[in-house]
Amino acid sequence: MNGVKNSVAGSLESSDVLVTVGPAEGEENKLDVESIVLKQFGARIRSVAEEVVVASGVRGAAVRIQDRGALECTLRARLETALERALKA
Amino acid sequence: MFGLEERALVSPREMEERSRLLASRGLAVPGNESVILGFFEEERLVATGSLVGNILQGIAVDRELEGEGVAATVTSALLKKAMETGRRQLFLYSKPDEAKRFEALGFTLLATATVERTGLGASLLEWGAEGIEKWSAAIAMKAEDGPEKSGVAVVNCNPFTLGHYRLLEYAAARTPRLYVLVVEEDRSLFPFEARFRLVEEGVSGLKNVVALRGGPYVISSATFPTYFSRMESGEGEQVTELYAALDIELFGRYVAPALRATDRFVGTEPYCPVTSIYNRMMKERLPKGGEGWPPVRVHEMPRFEIYGLPVSASRVRALIREGGLENVRPLVPESTWKWLVSKEARPVIEKIRSSESRH
Repeated sequence: MNGVKNSVAGSLESSDVLVTVGPAEGEENKLDVESIVLKQFGARIRSVAEEVVVASGVRGAAVRIQDRGALECTLRARLETALERALKA
Repeated sequence: MFGLEERALVSPREMEERSRLLASRGLAVPGNESVILGFFEEERLVATGSLVGNILQGIAVDRELEGEGVAATVTSALLKKAMETGRRQLFLYSKPDEAKRFEALGFTLLATATVERTGLGASLLEWGAEGIEKWSAAIAMKAEDGPEKSGVAVVNCNPFTLGHYRLLEYAAARTPRLYVLVVEEDRSLFPFEARFRLVEEGVSGLKNVVALRGGPYVISSATFPTYFSRMESGEGEQVTELYAALDIELFGRYVAPALRATDRFVGTEPYCPVTSIYNRMMKERLPKGGEGWPPVRVHEMPRFEIYGLPVSASRVRALIREGGLENVRPLVPESTWKWLVSKEARPVIEKIRSSESRH
């Protein structure tokens, strides 16, 4: 195991996002994005997520984003919280 | 959703309120729940949802609050509870006409089954998008070098007996290759690893037989929860039929195509009411095929008998329970016998002697 724990932040409610983090197979981080506005904002969501994931320093995490139309600040907050929980000793 | 107070339901009065809410939406109380959540609006229960192991079930919202996103609140709360306990693979049961709502929340529909005779129906969904695909790709890999057609037997083998051996021998003679899927759920008296090893050793003399782990989509607590609990009469039978139909649908849709299986082999079931319902449903449904999947022939073979008594794993367990391990010897192959008298088997035998479990 790589020390990444299972964690969750956010919700599936409208204008929110549910972020789940768990151990991935291997050392690479894995990112899955689903969104009700994927066509419009998929690329932006992905780049914000990559940025937050890299900044957290996590390795070997599987991050799943289930977006329900969250604002960028919400997305960042949910990601940071989920990653922090996943890395907490 | 603002203003709804979430809390775990415990008191009998709350449970009563919950079953009324479930009934008002045409849902039964799931049973065996590990977590039951209630959502209150000024002390009135307006939504509920529960976890049965890794399954989200019994999600209901008061009619008055319909369309306000409360189902998403309930689902999120249940997902969090489940993931906090480290569960990654999650399933959800819904009514067939409500499956779409949960698909919109990020679940993938695996199968829908209805039993016309009772009017009962259910959909099974899983959280995430790749579970079943990954799994069927993995088992398809194992069948890659195999022949164009094959047969499948699904077995629990708790433990592997001569009855199982005879069934598999019979099946192996009737198909170019036989895949034996061993139920992986660890809820039987014999642990999965031991059951699996005894199947592998037991069939090692049959050249065209391959034993595979059953995985989460073949008679698991998600696809067939009542398989692992005692069945009560009446209502239990109807629910068992429904779960059997779901399991059969999954088999036809995903398992059989991945293994290129055209035939399924079962033994007649003299003792276990759940298995005999399952066999009956299988004979009704698999040969018809389903929407998007081809028919599968079902072969039912009478149980192998010794001295006029069927050789079954439940009889082996009963004999162990009665104390005379030696009496088991004629009913099992040498490999199972060796294991039963080994050191590794001691805790299992202790457990059987002190347990009433059907499995």
